[in-house]
Amino acid sequence: MDPGPALYCIRIYGHLGATLLSAFPAMDAEQQGQVTVLTGVLDQSGLYGLLADIETLGLGLIEVRQLGSARESPEPGQGGCP
Amino acid sequence: MRVSTGSPRAGRAVSRLIDRGDLLAALDRAAAAKVTLISAPAGSGKTSLLRAWADGPGRRHRLAVVQVRRNERDAQQFWLILLAAIQGSAPTAGSTAPLAPTPDFNPAAMAGRVLAELAEQHERVYLLIDDLHELTQPDALDQLTRLLADLPGHVHAILATRHDLRLRLHRLRLAGELAEIRAADLRFSLSETGDMLRASGVELPEASVALLHQRTEGWAAGLRLAAIALAGNQEPDRFVAEFSGSDRTVAEYLLAEMLERQPADVQLLLLRTSLLDRVNGELADLLTGQAGSERVLLGLEDANAFVLSLDAERTWFRYHHLFADLLRLELRRTLPDEVADLHRLAADWLSEHSQVADAIRHLQAAGEWAEAARLLADRSFSLTLDGQAQTIEALLASFPPGAAADGPDLALARATITLARGLLDEAAAHLAVAEAHFAQALPARRHRLRVATAALNLSLARRRGNLAGVLEQVTFLATPVSGRSDEDISLDNDLRAVALMNLGIIEAWSLANQESERHLQEGADLARRIGRPYLEVACLAQLAFASKIEPFAVTRQRCEEAITLADRYGWGADPVISPALVNLGGVMIWTGAFDEGERWLRRAETALRTDSGPGIRLLLHLGTGQLEGCRGRHAEAVEQFRAAERLQSQLAGSHALASQLAGWSIAAQARAGLLSEASSALAVLGDDLTSSGEVSNARAAILLAQGAPDRALGVLHGVLDGSAPVTGDVTVIETQLLAGLAHAELGDQRAASQAAERALALAEPDRLVLPFAMTGAQDLLAAMPRHQTAHAALLADILDILRGSAVPAPPASAASSPRLSDSELRVLRYLPTNMSRPEIARELSLSVNTVNTHIRNIYAKLQATDRSSAVRQARQQRLISMAVPR
Repeated sequence: MDPGPALYCIRIYGHLGATLLSAFPAMDAEQQGQVTVLTGVLDQSGLYGLLADIETLGLGLIEVRQLGSARESPEPGQGGCP
Repeated sequence: MRVSTGSPRAGRAVSRLIDRGDLLAALDRAAAAKVTLISAPAGSGKTSLLRAWADGPGRRHRLAVVQVRRNERDAQQFWLILLAAIQGSAPTAGSTAPLAPTPDFNPAAMAGRVLAELAEQHERVYLLIDDLHELTQPDALDQLTRLLADLPGHVHAILATRHDLRLRLHRLRLAGELAEIRAADLRFSLSETGDMLRASGVELPEASVALLHQRTEGWAAGLRLAAIALAGNQEPDRFVAEFSGSDRTVAEYLLAEMLERQPADVQLLLLRTSLLDRVNGELADLLTGQAGSERVLLGLEDANAFVLSLDAERTWFRYHHLFADLLRLELRRTLPDEVADLHRLAADWLSEHSQVADAIRHLQAAGEWAEAARLLADRSFSLTLDGQAQTIEALLASFPPGAAADGPDLALARATITLARGLLDEAAAHLAVAEAHFAQALPARRHRLRVATAALNLSLARRRGNLAGVLEQVTFLATPVSGRSDEDISLDNDLRAVALMNLGIIEAWSLANQESERHLQEGADLARRIGRPYLEVACLAQLAFASKIEPFAVTRQRCEEAITLADRYGWGADPVISPALVNLGGVMIWTGAFDEGERWLRRAETALRTDSGPGIRLLLHLGTGQLEGCRGRHAEAVEQFRAAERLQSQLAGSHALASQLAGWSIAAQARAGLLSEASSALAVLGDDLTSSGEVSNARAAILLAQGAPDRALGVLHGVLDGSAPVTGDVTVIETQLLAGLAHAELGDQRAASQAAERALALAEPDRLVLPFAMTGAQDLLAAMPRHQTAHAALLADILDILRGSAVPAPPASAASSPRLSDSELRVLRYLPTNMSRPEIARELSLSVNTVNTHIRNIYAKLQATDRSSAVRQARQQRLISMAVPR
């Protein structure tokens, strides 16, 4: 089942610098203390690809959350990911 | 994927691996279970741990080490390299030929082959598979699960992976046969952190070590990066303080620091070569535009800077995966305009160095789709001859749909793949697309493409059974090789070998003449000369089929030689060897070893799983039908012959076995009681078949089943007087037996025995049992007066087989059977009869003394004490049914 594109927020341990952020060009990044929050609209294959990249780069994945389908979602970067 | 075999210590860089005693002990303890799984994220120190353990003192066990290549989708490559690593770890390493992959790969068989290889090793073997998460092919994972579950007791497997895999390991876990080491176990302790820094020449106060340990959480990659960045740092405490105060990800922060501390040329080398899976000095020089890269790489490995050498000579290197990933990101971020050019440069070098698949991958990465397609088309012929069909498939899958790439170049690659799978119509369609465009190709390519399409056309015509088509296409064989360049000459040689193979096969099929043997032998010789072992095996396997006109001993030997060679390369269960497997099964069945014959046929069936084409599959059904007929299972025989006939309808021309198939099929129907079906089948046969001896036999079988022995005798006349064409002696033997059965039915026992005697005489050279079994001649033979036959030994053998006291399977190794001389074998045959020694002497025109000597030698060689135990031994070793040159 493919639920279709949706807004996701992904929390990664640590502060990602320019090099690591370049691995996620489609996502908006925000630093929240010790955590980097990546926010963006992804379909299923985009989501799995991104998770695979996080694994490959040895990053610590804390949380993946869907914030709603792409249509009803708030603008990326405007919060919503607590 | 790379292999290192035996002790990985050879040529190893100065080891800066610290002694993680507790973990090494944990690994040792884990070896009590069947499988150890090390599952932890990138940079946790899995590979370093394995290397340290493998190099540890007292590690005298044999190691087979396999490093899975990045994103390995080619299951075949994985299994072949695993097999090579196991063979390489054996003390006899070097005696076996190198493995090469095959287009007709059968993964199920490979796991079995690996198990067989492991079973042959008697010492304790450790199987190390690193980066197993890179193996993404689902079938390969399923097979690996099977392998792990079935590992023999003396083998221990250690798997290292970044994340838990789809291996069904719960059974092992429940049985206590799975030991697991996970990320938390791999973390460096505080004291190990101190050891590790000291080993790298970094002296830090206790408090700084603690800070670093806390900040990195004992993560191996972080600590190693820190150690490199700290080495030679004037203010290490400040470095640690700054690092601890930074929120940036450990790896990224430290990589940037580490890179910054490297000289400019080293930085550039690391960045520019980061997009290669493996690198050597020459390739690095090319990508950096500088000389001396090899020295830099060696220095980096010695400094333990995430660079690992891959061979004992330390010429090829790879970067630690996490390190390479970060470098690649850095390259794309800082030098984005160079990336495509670097891929192109790498592709050129790899292509020139015959690493075609890697070259194509780099072209694809550079977005050079048309160029990638062109290279794939140019090299698909060569890749096929080296057995890399799966690689071609994987490369094909990486092209985006549509676009310029989806043109005639890819059609050629698709034709290659579909033909290997026996999808003849599909292959022909792709080939037509390719050919239509290649006329416009540049002159430089035209020859290469013409050779590739010519080879495909030849194989296609042959697989369709189109004799005229093949003959028309091989006329070039008459002219000597006249290539202008080395490449042209080697291409021409490839094509010649392929042409000889296809010509030989089609001749064997259509004409069954001696020419076919000559052509296949020439093809095999040429293939060996030009270093194409896959093609050599293909020719030899077909030669085994073509030699069916030779004495059975020759055929059998050729089959066994071809199978041995195929086994050695790991092709023992692939379509390429199926002709030899089917034929060996046939030889066994024809000589009465039904159970063994059945085993070979089943192996052939497995080998043909990925090939749905008509040719050898037809033979498989024909052989199975004969087997069923010999066992008196006539209804089952009918099914098999019908399956063979359905496949036959896919072939263009007639083939050498057509009349045999038609005759046996109809006779089986008659014997199964399907008399009207048999008569209808007979009625629709073409004239060429109706007049054949085989069909005459079938007609007689119907008449016998109908209770008309006198008319049966009538239809057999043409064969008995030699006017009807026959495929071979077996047909005439059958005719004699059918005539014998008819005479017996008519009450003429004397004529019946005379016919049976003539059948025995014809069957003697090859010790044929098949026709006696197929015709149901047991009572006919049993009624023969023993003293009146000159073939008492054969008669006794056949009756034993027909009565079900089957010949036992031969010993596993031919080397263990005693070597009887030909004269001794001749005497041996008479031992199962009730003939006395003087009678045997008279029969063989020898003196009684000579016969006595032979018998004494036979007893000694068979370690027998008397005649009956000698016969028993000889039966077990299948010496009695062996053909003897006269």
